[in-house]
Amino acid sequence: MSNGLNTKLKYRNPKQILNLNNISVYTSRSTTTTKTNKTGTWRFLRPEYREKTAPCSTACPAGTDIARVESLAAHGKEIEALGTILMENPFPAICGRVCFHPCESGCNRGAYDQPVAIQRIERYLGDTALDLTGGAVPEIQPANGRRAAIIGAGPAGLSAAYFLRILGFSCDVYEAKNEPGGIMRWGIPAYRLPKRVVAAEVDRITRLGVKIHCGTAVDPAGCQDLFEEFDALFLGCGLGRSIRLNIPGGHLVRDGLDYLHTVRTSNHSDIDGTAVVIGGGNTAVDLSRTLIRKGAVGVTLFYRRRIEDMPAFGDEVKRAVQEGVRVVTLASPARIESGDRGKILTLQSMKPVGMTGGGRARVVPDGGRLTQIQTDHVFMAVGAEADPIWQESNRSVKLSHCRLSTGDRPVITGGDLTNTTRSVPDAVASGKQAAMALDIFFKEGAANLEQCLEKNRIGNGTALSMEIYRKGPRRFNSPEVVAFDGINTDYFPESERTPESVVPPGESTRSFSEIHQTLTATDAGREARRCFNCGICTGCDNCRWFCPEIAVTVEGKNRHIETDWCKGCGICVTECPGNAMTLVEEPP
Amino acid sequence: MKKILEGSHAVSEAVRLAGVQVVSAYPITPQTHIVEAISNDCASGALDARFICVESEHSAMAALIGASSGGVRTFTATSSQGLALMHELLHWASAARLPIVMAEVNRALAPGWNIWMDQTDSLAQRDTGWVQLYCEDGQEVFDTTLQAFMLAETVNLPVMVVLDAFYLSHTYEPVDIPSRETVDRFLPPYSPKIVMDTANPCAFGQMAPPGVYMEMRRDIQNAMEAVGELFEGIENRFDGIFNRRYGPVEAVGCDDAEIIMIVSGTAAGTCREVVAALRANGEKAGMLKIKMFRPFPVQLIREVLGSVGKVAVVDRNFSFGASGIFAQEVRASLCNVKDHPPVFGYIAGLGGKDITPETIEEIYRRTKAETMPEKESVWVGIDG
Repeated sequence: MSNGLNTKLKYRNPKQILNLNNISVYTSRSTTTTKTNKTGTWRFLRPEYREKTAPCSTACPAGTDIARVESLAAHGKEIEALGTILMENPFPAICGRVCFHPCESGCNRGAYDQPVAIQRIERYLGDTALDLTGGAVPEIQPANGRRAAIIGAGPAGLSAAYFLRILGFSCDVYEAKNEPGGIMRWGIPAYRLPKRVVAAEVDRITRLGVKIHCGTAVDPAGCQDLFEEFDALFLGCGLGRSIRLNIPGGHLVRDGLDYLHTVRTSNHSDIDGTAVVIGGGNTAVDLSRTLIRKGAVGVTLFYRRRIEDMPAFGDEVKRAVQEGVRVVTLASPARIESGDRGKILTLQSMKPVGMTGGGRARVVPDGGRLTQIQTDHVFMAVGAEADPIWQESNRSVKLSHCRLSTGDRPVITGGDLTNTTRSVPDAVASGKQAAMALDIFFKEGAANLEQCLEKNRIGNGTALSMEIYRKGPRRFNSPEVVAFDGINTDYFPESERTPESVVPPGESTRSFSEIHQTLTATDAGREARRCFNCGICTGCDNCRWFCPEIAVTVEGKNRHIETDWCKGCGICVTECPGNAMTLVEEPP
Repeated sequence: MKKILEGSHAVSEAVRLAGVQVVSAYPITPQTHIVEAISNDCASGALDARFICVESEHSAMAALIGASSGGVRTFTATSSQGLALMHELLHWASAARLPIVMAEVNRALAPGWNIWMDQTDSLAQRDTGWVQLYCEDGQEVFDTTLQAFMLAETVNLPVMVVLDAFYLSHTYEPVDIPSRETVDRFLPPYSPKIVMDTANPCAFGQMAPPGVYMEMRRDIQNAMEAVGELFEGIENRFDGIFNRRYGPVEAVGCDDAEIIMIVSGTAAGTCREVVAALRANGEKAGMLKIKMFRPFPVQLIREVLGSVGKVAVVDRNFSFGASGIFAQEVRASLCNVKDHPPVFGYIAGLGGKDITPETIEEIYRRTKAETMPEKESVWVGIDG
């Protein structure tokens, strides 16, 4: 700044130089504590810490405490997050791949920007555990001296064994096939669910002490023998028989599930030429996509209703179309004949009738419109049914996911034999309900069974919580389900759902490698941080920071409201991001 | 290291290096670039601070009053209407003795809407108890922002660092940005005199009856008076590390001047050139740049102006019904000096009108031509 013209300046009175440490700061601040002012006497409303139920948990058939899982995952506590899942579901890595994720449809974040990718986070957590031995599995209660036999090592049977074992039962599982897993092992193709994932999660169950006897088929007569040794029986043998097409030439059709089983067991399953698949469920879609991978040059899927009526998961149908499956709807097979070159399939065009509102369409033949196509192979996957050897007992209590018969010994029928939704998480729900029901039966008898089960219900859904059951009458949360308007979105900036990492269709059809990739640790943490954590306390301490009376104290993980000073202003409740607090009226 | 920065980013760089802990601000042109850059630094982790977004400047200052009462280093920035909206809380911050630092980018007040340079916004806050420091260039902006934290935290008064809209806020210049280690040698971490103890809650800003209220006000003035001396000490320390100093005022060519022109902000840069040119032509011209407006450096001004022939104050602001605000303050400083010089008041460059070398020359010539001012304020650059 200086250019030689500057005047040297100084204050005239050097005596005024002050001791800088001595500058007085006289403010209007009380000299005594304001604790003497008991503002609590003003209160007519009182805030309470009241954890509630998240809509995702209510929607989850397995009843996983998802809001808590995401909160733990968001803070890098992956083992604890996994432990929270394993409390309710033995198959995080499997469900993280094949579940139809109703949790995400229920997610409050969907009303804000996009739902949290709950399933992919579950898969990430499940995968991190595949190499773990122990650690995250829930504590097993001391042996109760009772033995349970489980027929069928599918998802329902294995879940029943898992939860019974946790409740202190000794469990033996009998499986007709030579490996455990059921539909997870034999039905679902490897590009959706690799064998190693099933093996690792089944292994976790056997490590708990569950004995699985493979290659041991049990029929009803065999069950009688088991009663000699066991106190209870769980029937989870699934729908073993495919429904046949009752049309002329039906014998020319190959069974889809059989073929999928062959693909998973043998190297001689390649297909030449064109193929037709009849059906609209997940098996039909899995089958179509498997046929493409096995060499079929054109795969057409015929379904008798509309595309929106297909029981298969929408994403899977979309993916099948991307991979080259032609989907023809409103077409029902009428007859099949052998031709010179392959088979001739005659199809009847259908039309929906009496459509009022939503629901699946009823279809009737659309006049006499018939079409014929020629193809090399016809497969069907139109559903499966129970082997008729498993007769329903008359003396039975019907529950939401299973059926309890109380003859000489309690017998629970579960899984696909009783479930209205046939899925892996519903099978888990069935196994869990069965385990709880047997435990209650032995402790309290059958009289109060439904009432006792009801106490463990999560929110207004059908799922039951093993965590609530094990903690006894003191529920850790209120069944009240948090709605979107209960969330303080000020604390949640809008953010995009982590995009899926998917192998492109052209590449994916060349092998049975997995199509969807597991999230990276960074993405899983980021996605988990998008969760509103509806209804649970994440320890954010907003209640404490915002309290104008400093009436919130913390001891360890627990927060406490000092009623001497809480004046009931409700700021803490408003600022609680995920609605884990409630303002209640003070009794007069 | 020298960087080419706009004035706004000279501020944000200083804020980053000062390790400010809480920032709260509401965007307003021409200040926005400052907090935009700070917000980026907070998001990237370059600055470990909480950036509190608010719905108004009133709330921004309220948030900082809360944060500063809690014992952390705080910063905000605003302009014009935003500063006017803060007015109530400016009084609160100083009377609560909170060392908040604010960058204030001078901008004209509406209506008519005008986003350009005008000092009336900050000078209208002269009685709020804030220290006010006006800057001439980007380097001075950076240096003054750093010094402001030390000044504020020593006397427990809030400090406003004032810079010209666009001429300074949006103009790129080379600015020497030191390393964090060097800045740390100058500015230690904040050690607050006012803190909150949640275990022993107190009432802040409570009732003060007549017996103590006046004492508190006198206490603020004592602190203000200390700022003058203290500033020299801070500049000594700063000079020792960075080899730069500015002074509360700067007198150029004043020792033998017959006419001293008083300027502030970027107009000082223009005036410097004009004074040099005039002196090269044998004119006895001088310049007094006023950096510190509050506390007003009365002693220094008397020392420089006491024996000069005439004083011409260039005011980029106006107090309606009176005159230019710097002119008022200069006249008040001189009135008790025996045989003080006449003070000519010129109003120039309002609402972003340029103050060019010709403007300054015109002011010089008009002052030279008159013996005594005909009126309190002469409006330069407009008809009539």
